[in-house]
Amino acid sequence: MDAEHAPGTDDAASDADDSSSPFGGSPPPLGLSLASATVAALVLLPLVWLVRLAFDVGVAEAVALSTRPETLEVFANSAALVVAVTAASILVGVPLAYLTVRTDLPLRQFWTVAVSLPLVIPSYIGAFAFVTAFGPRGALQRLLAPLGVESLPRLYGFVGATLVLTLYTYPYVYITTRAALKSMDTTLVEAARTLRHSRWEAFRRVTVPQIRPAVAAGSLFVALYTLSDFGTPAIMRFDAFTRVIFVEFNSFGRDFAALLSLQLVAVTLLILAAESRIRGDEQVYGGGRATDRVRLGRWKLPALGFCGSVAGLALVVPLAILGTWFVRGASNVGSETLAFDVSYVLNSVGVAAATAAVAAVFALPVAYVAAHHRGTVATLAERATYVGYAVPGVVIGLALVYLGTSYARPVYQTLYLLVFAYVVRFLPQAVGSLRASFLRVDPKLPEAARTLGRTPSGAFRSVTLPLVAPGLLGGMALVFLTTMKELPATLFLAPTGFETLVTRVWSAYSQGYFGRAAVPALILLAVSGLSMLVIVSQEGYDVK
Amino acid sequence: MERNDFGRPTRRRLVATGVTAGIAALAGCNGLLDGESSGGDSENGSQAIGQIGSGRSPFGERSIEGGTSMTEMPDLSGELTVYSGRGEALVGELVQFIDDLYDDFSVQVRYAGSSDLVNQILTEGDGSPADVFYSVNAGSLGTLAEEGRTVALPDEVLELVREEFRDPDGQWTGTSGRARTVPYNTDQWSASDIPGDIYAFPDAERFADQVGWAPTYGSFQAFVTAMRVLKGDQRTREWLQGMLDLGVQEYTDEFLVCQAIADGEISVGFANHYYIQRVLAGRGEAPLTTAFTNGDAGSIFNVAGACTLDTTDNRELAANFVRHLLSAEAQDYFARETFEYPLVSGVDPVGDLPRIDELNPPEGVDLTQLADLEGTVDLMRDVGVL
Repeated sequence: MDAEHAPGTDDAASDADDSSSPFGGSPPPLGLSLASATVAALVLLPLVWLVRLAFDVGVAEAVALSTRPETLEVFANSAALVVAVTAASILVGVPLAYLTVRTDLPLRQFWTVAVSLPLVIPSYIGAFAFVTAFGPRGALQRLLAPLGVESLPRLYGFVGATLVLTLYTYPYVYITTRAALKSMDTTLVEAARTLRHSRWEAFRRVTVPQIRPAVAAGSLFVALYTLSDFGTPAIMRFDAFTRVIFVEFNSFGRDFAALLSLQLVAVTLLILAAESRIRGDEQVYGGGRATDRVRLGRWKLPALGFCGSVAGLALVVPLAILGTWFVRGASNVGSETLAFDVSYVLNSVGVAAATAAVAAVFALPVAYVAAHHRGTVATLAERATYVGYAVPGVVIGLALVYLGTSYARPVYQTLYLLVFAYVVRFLPQAVGSLRASFLRVDPKLPEAARTLGRTPSGAFRSVTLPLVAPGLLGGMALVFLTTMKELPATLFLAPTGFETLVTRVWSAYSQGYFGRAAVPALILLAVSGLSMLVIVSQEGYDVK
Repeated sequence: MERNDFGRPTRRRLVATGVTAGIAALAGCNGLLDGESSGGDSENGSQAIGQIGSGRSPFGERSIEGGTSMTEMPDLSGELTVYSGRGEALVGELVQFIDDLYDDFSVQVRYAGSSDLVNQILTEGDGSPADVFYSVNAGSLGTLAEEGRTVALPDEVLELVREEFRDPDGQWTGTSGRARTVPYNTDQWSASDIPGDIYAFPDAERFADQVGWAPTYGSFQAFVTAMRVLKGDQRTREWLQGMLDLGVQEYTDEFLVCQAIADGEISVGFANHYYIQRVLAGRGEAPLTTAFTNGDAGSIFNVAGACTLDTTDNRELAANFVRHLLSAEAQDYFARETFEYPLVSGVDPVGDLPRIDELNPPEGVDLTQLADLEGTVDLMRDVGVL
């Protein structure tokens, strides 16, 4: 675990003095830089395959394909979807965070968990549930038929895709914003109020600058998730980038699919650069002093209605659909083989836990260096970890099939390579939350330990690590959840015969055995829900 | 649900029939195609070893008739890895049955989408652990054959199936069949409302906003490919454009198309025949039935099939596994449990379906021509369907 930090203990001592200041411009210790760069290089490995395949297309054809009107159209579609979903997630996530942290909303603990939970629902299940529920003659219409509802509007296309993606990704913004609000010093807001600022003005002038980096970090995950999601555009019949990539892979046009994926990577880099700009100079948080909560007064009911409708839409619709599948049961022949088995749960939890642990080890040097040093290596390494998150799982999966069979045959289709694939996909979630924690550690504390004769790594172990443990756990829990619901890379890379909850959901669902899909899906949600409690409670907040 | 009893024979009887069966198999399985029972002179002739699965079908009981029993095929021994694009719900029981039949044979199956597995095999290159690829369509088998990743199956395997259902070069064989059909809602239409000509659909104004299709689905793309082969790209383009103008509704797969028709969300569509049977098996009262177009692309007959891969280190075992998929027991299983068309003579489909020789597929298009999906996808994208 700490082996990452052991190198260069003695000769790094002199650097460590400068690097203890978070705004120190000095280069980080060599050992740490190397560790950080190594992690970045590892997670970028799959891109090698993409570049190689894209070269097979040939430059002339590549340019022709990339500039075709259709390609430009899906490009515009994806861009519009990313902007719409990100904006909508901010509009949903930030008010929810404010309500559950800063106001006297009734049942705050309950709402905190309820509005975080949509994150655990795989978007393809969410999308499918919405299509099933809201079709012109879907489940909802049949319920409402006695009331004279003839048919409901279709939810397909841009609106449907935006709605579903927003409902299942806004928790990223909610969780990051909530953490920032909790650690904010609210006496500043009080000061602004005494200066005759209205409540809104105080929010705009004091709170917004304080939470902006956190909102940006959450929005980044929303944007990248939207860009890379396969399921929702496919089910909602919206021509996003991923859907075209999917069609290409389906007709065995691997080279063109690779080319499109590289374009996707290019867009990702733009988004990453934009987020870096917005993030700007971050505050180093001290401990927050919380004063009285804002009284909602006559806004109480609308606030409750808002929380209730968001959580209700996002959770009740898929749960109700899964419930009806479950009740209908396995009405189909031939589905005996899809009967439930407890090993699926153990497999899912096992690989997800292993991934979370490996991601933590990988994230430590990257996050530490990124939090404590300004410099090209630090920034590039941190940003590099995000690329894998934005590339669709099917692309990462195939890239590792290629690398595994060509260069690492002993680990191909073993759990080692599968866990590595998950780490490539989900590492930034650990890096992001850990980096924020490092920024909140007062540099005077490890310095004090140094003056008492501790080595840099000793000070790190005994002082810094315990302080960042909550952030580390939170990041690991996020990695755990997203790993639990990952499908495409699992299908390509899992050992033959290794079944997880999500592969069972897919097996049953893809062949129309919905009754058999319900049990693993519900268990997936339950297990993920439990780890959600870890995320929410790790900030020292009692969730009863 | 009660557990399935695989009706496994006693070891002693297996050995007894096994020996004679081995000899019969070595002698080549000719004379099977004219429906005679062959070889095996055990006291009850060519006895199947029992039905796979529950033996019950939503469409009534039946017993195994025709075909060659597994007992008359060479024994399997060793380890085999099968990449299966056919889902576990559909073929898991069959594979398990074959695995259980032989003590020293074990089979590992990797389930995923057919296209994904072709991409995976091509990406794996000569590092592929797969011995057999089992696919939902001829197109993906054809792609692997074209890429030189298959090895020819032996004649005694190929001969079990009629010529039009296998690769002319013997690189792959069909194992069960599916017909393209027109599912429709019986509350909204009667049989006479459904055109017998696929090209009449775009002009059928009564179907405005009422037709469903699944253009990303391989079987649908094979149907469009057949249209290109039979009528050329221009006519195909007009047909696709006509359907778009009619307000065709897009679904992610054909099971959902059939569900939507049964729900009354739409009233007519294009789908493989067994999706209709599968909806009916689950909801017997659903207002859904099957229509066929006559001798055009709308009624092509495609197969699910298997091939052995060039990376296998046991070609004989791989080929003999494919042979088991063509046994009387397996063919009966496809008919009863997955509602497909058996491809071995003498085994009939179940449910509300015409027999295989009563079908009217178009002349002048063969399964290998359906393998070229690339041009079809380009054309579909060009029109704006994809």
